[in-house]
Amino acid sequence: MNIKITYNWLLDYLETDADVFEIQKYLSLCGPSVERVDKNGDDYVMDIEITSNRIDCASVIGIAQEAAAILPRFGKKAKLKKNPLTQLKFPSGFKSPVNINQLSVNIPAELCPRFTAVVLDNIQLKDAPDFIKKRLQLCEIKSINNIVDISNYLMLVFGQPSHMFDYDKIGQGKMWMRESKKGEEIVTLDEKKITLPGGDMIIEDGDKKIVDLCGIMGGLNSAISNTTKRVVFFVQTYNKNKIRKSVMLTNQRTVASTFFEKGLDEERVEPTFVYGLELLEKYAGAKISSPLYDLNYKPETKRVIDLNIADVNRIIGVEIKDSEVKEILENLGFEIAENGFSVPPSRKNDVFIKEDLIEEIARIYGYHNLPSELPPMVYIKQPEEIEQIFSLQYKIKLLLKHLGLNEMMNYSMISKELITNFDLNLKKHLDVKNTISDDIKYLRLSLIPSLAKNIKDNEGKKSCLQIFEIAKVYPQRENELPDERLKLAVAVNTDFDDLKGIMQQIFHELCIVDYELKVNSSNRFFHSGIQTQVKIGQDIVGEVGKLKESYRQNLGLKSEVYLLEFDLQTVIKYQQNLLPYRPVNPFAVIKLDLTLNADKIVFGELKKTAFAKSQLLQKIEVLGKYQNKLSLRFYFSSSEKNITQKEAEAELENLKKI
Amino acid sequence: MLNQEKILLDLQQALEKVTLSDLENLQIKYLGRNGLVNDLFQKIKEVSPAEKKAYGESINRLKEKVTALILAKKEELVTKEDNAEKIDVTLPGKNYPQGSLHLITQGINEISQIFEKIGFIRMSYPEVEWEYFSFASLNMPADHPARDDFETSFIDFPEHSEYGKMVLTPHTSSGQVREMWRLGKPPIRMINISKTYRPNYDATHTPMFYQFEGLCVDKGINITHLKGTIDYFAKAYFGEDVQTRLRPHHFQFTEPSFEVDVTCTVCRGKCEVDGKKCKVCKSGWLELGGTGMVHPNVLKEGKIDSGIYTGWAFGFGIERVIMMKYGINDIRYYYSGDIRFLEQF
Repeated sequence: MNIKITYNWLLDYLETDADVFEIQKYLSLCGPSVERVDKNGDDYVMDIEITSNRIDCASVIGIAQEAAAILPRFGKKAKLKKNPLTQLKFPSGFKSPVNINQLSVNIPAELCPRFTAVVLDNIQLKDAPDFIKKRLQLCEIKSINNIVDISNYLMLVFGQPSHMFDYDKIGQGKMWMRESKKGEEIVTLDEKKITLPGGDMIIEDGDKKIVDLCGIMGGLNSAISNTTKRVVFFVQTYNKNKIRKSVMLTNQRTVASTFFEKGLDEERVEPTFVYGLELLEKYAGAKISSPLYDLNYKPETKRVIDLNIADVNRIIGVEIKDSEVKEILENLGFEIAENGFSVPPSRKNDVFIKEDLIEEIARIYGYHNLPSELPPMVYIKQPEEIEQIFSLQYKIKLLLKHLGLNEMMNYSMISKELITNFDLNLKKHLDVKNTISDDIKYLRLSLIPSLAKNIKDNEGKKSCLQIFEIAKVYPQRENELPDERLKLAVAVNTDFDDLKGIMQQIFHELCIVDYELKVNSSNRFFHSGIQTQVKIGQDIVGEVGKLKESYRQNLGLKSEVYLLEFDLQTVIKYQQNLLPYRPVNPFAVIKLDLTLNADKIVFGELKKTAFAKSQLLQKIEVLGKYQNKLSLRFYFSSSEKNITQKEAEAELENLKKI
Repeated sequence: MLNQEKILLDLQQALEKVTLSDLENLQIKYLGRNGLVNDLFQKIKEVSPAEKKAYGESINRLKEKVTALILAKKEELVTKEDNAEKIDVTLPGKNYPQGSLHLITQGINEISQIFEKIGFIRMSYPEVEWEYFSFASLNMPADHPARDDFETSFIDFPEHSEYGKMVLTPHTSSGQVREMWRLGKPPIRMINISKTYRPNYDATHTPMFYQFEGLCVDKGINITHLKGTIDYFAKAYFGEDVQTRLRPHHFQFTEPSFEVDVTCTVCRGKCEVDGKKCKVCKSGWLELGGTGMVHPNVLKEGKIDSGIYTGWAFGFGIERVIMMKYGINDIRYYYSGDIRFLEQF
């Protein structure tokens, strides 16, 4: 989160010779990042990023404390002029005055660890004094009236939100804090009607009205108005998880809730309350008219952390003197204890172990003051199969790119619609319970539906589409994580020949020679007559085919689509770095052509038997296909002698008999 | 003598029509071992001794003239040939296929190479993970905001008795404890690059994105090594003139934690481009991502003694470093499958 404060406001608490830009520079290096400084009149607005663990410094006082610890490290004078956190205490003789306006409170400890409230009478509603209005306006908070403005002013000074109710609108002065039931309703100050999801912290009054959505926004029914005379001044800490959950589920995020959901310091409630009272008395004529209600369910306990200087140096990497460590920590409010340091209350939600203290030492010492070294070189063996999968994946990707294909990366999840468009079994897919979109709900089991959809989505953008994707699929297993496997898929809108050629190039690149195409008609994605299984060794590594007409229709595809999908990890098992070496054959090669009726043969089978039968056959080349005529060229040669034309012709005659 | 003049005359005539390929034959006819000029040399036997010297000299002159004529012609013809053809070289050449690799693929390749040089091995860990590896082992207690429905995608699957719910890994850090377990004990030098998932979608967030995680655990590893490695990476990836800085930050699984800034890749840290304020950076710096010293609780989950070993880790977004380096800022295009975007790379 970011907060805005002003430089002059900071100087109310900080005595320093550093200008605002020096503060920006040095704080950003060692503490909260001051992201922007903007001059405005005679003041500067500082926009500061606060990390979630340092909500204690999300305030003027918090920044003043950081500056007091950091600036002296850069040769700047800096110290706190006053420290309201330790100096402002409830007045010891806080007596109930006459005309008591009682509150009847019921506050569960698990919802609200610290509860303070008081009823104030004689409220004079008017504009806030100029200095408050001006500072709020610089920090981009709209001025409303003195009561609301004082509440906002307190939040910027202390980082602790407070709230004001109109006492006369709280039925019977009763404030019963509880968790909401699902479906209960509240209209908040911004006039939004919110139906509560249940489990939200709310306050119910004596008339069964919900008057507050705690820590987020008050109810409209108990809001300050022009006729308000008596207010309940209210400073609390809340269960941070409940606040966050309500904010998420109701989508009602407020400045106050961003503070409360980080977990605030119970000890800071008191000074905020005391300073608030002072301002309300001074600028709104407020008079205390009830007892002080203060329930502190989480009283301060001292936490002491052991710290050994050897650990400090071991983790930071330079030698820091014992005295310097002490100085740094003391400037941050830590106190020297036996064997270690005790944690100031404002840091109790953040500092638990010695590493937390070491972080404090290192950042104030200055990360910029540490040298940069590479870690000492050691050799760690990368598992071979991991190395291979990465390097071959890249090799294949490069090949496909050079063949003219475009690489796609799709979401790992697809829609129910896409799954049913391909007649896939929804139940086999793992699904994301809390998906932000139904388009990305089911974890893929195949890349084919995604690539077919990519072709569809790109129709009209480019005429010839040749695309590929290498990605994991996630088939589920019982009681186990899914069996994440890498798949390679290619899709083209050209023809089968194109796709087959791409497949051949992939195998060539991986030096896989002995793969077999099994005529197949069982793949449900593909036309029964235009599909094949690819087998290497004993493994079916994937399938190639033409997208079935019905799926083409389902997707609304204009063009025909040809697809292949391989299990990449299985294919890779068979890869070689080089094709098997064959000595150069010095003897003559005789080429003979033959034209066959294509309807009567299956080329793959013919090839297989021809090579089995002929010792002289070196290669069969397909010259072309015209209608049902298939023209082939046979290459004959011997590795021992020159053969004659006649010998070759005789060999071909033999083959014809098959 | 007459004979010699005729030879010259014939040659001159023959040269008028000769082509480059015929010229070689002509050269053989006149100057070859059995050529006309050599024939004349042979005839010196028939010449009277008194005239032998003059005869010899005259044949030599003839040979020089013949050689000169042929050479001159050759040069003329070669020059002519050189100038004969003319084409419009500005016309496009033959079309070779031009495919594309996804930006992420290129990023992964570049990043793994940078870390390989300093001995970091690339590993791969599950994208669909148990809560234990994504959170609990990383010092993120059950009530941590990152573990709720708004920050993490949960899979509809029975809970694991030991490791909790099944999630889509929200960061590559889920591989930290897995790598510690795999190796058994330090040293560890790992880069884990993977798809990661969070339920967000806007101009700078997609529900799936890529991270790269560095993990280094050993005896004597300290903040200076983290600084050095980050600086090495930033210079190798963005350029030698880039500076880095660490700022205090907060993450559950590191202590101390830092955010890394690099000098703005647009204004090179000067805050100004062509006299105007840089639109890209905050005061000359760009955030690269989060890092820190591995939290002792994480080492403990990894069965590593934090009293002996220390380590650092970082996790950066690949889309982010690509954006910073190349200025490609609408990351929603990355996973849109739009060919008009993808084919540019």
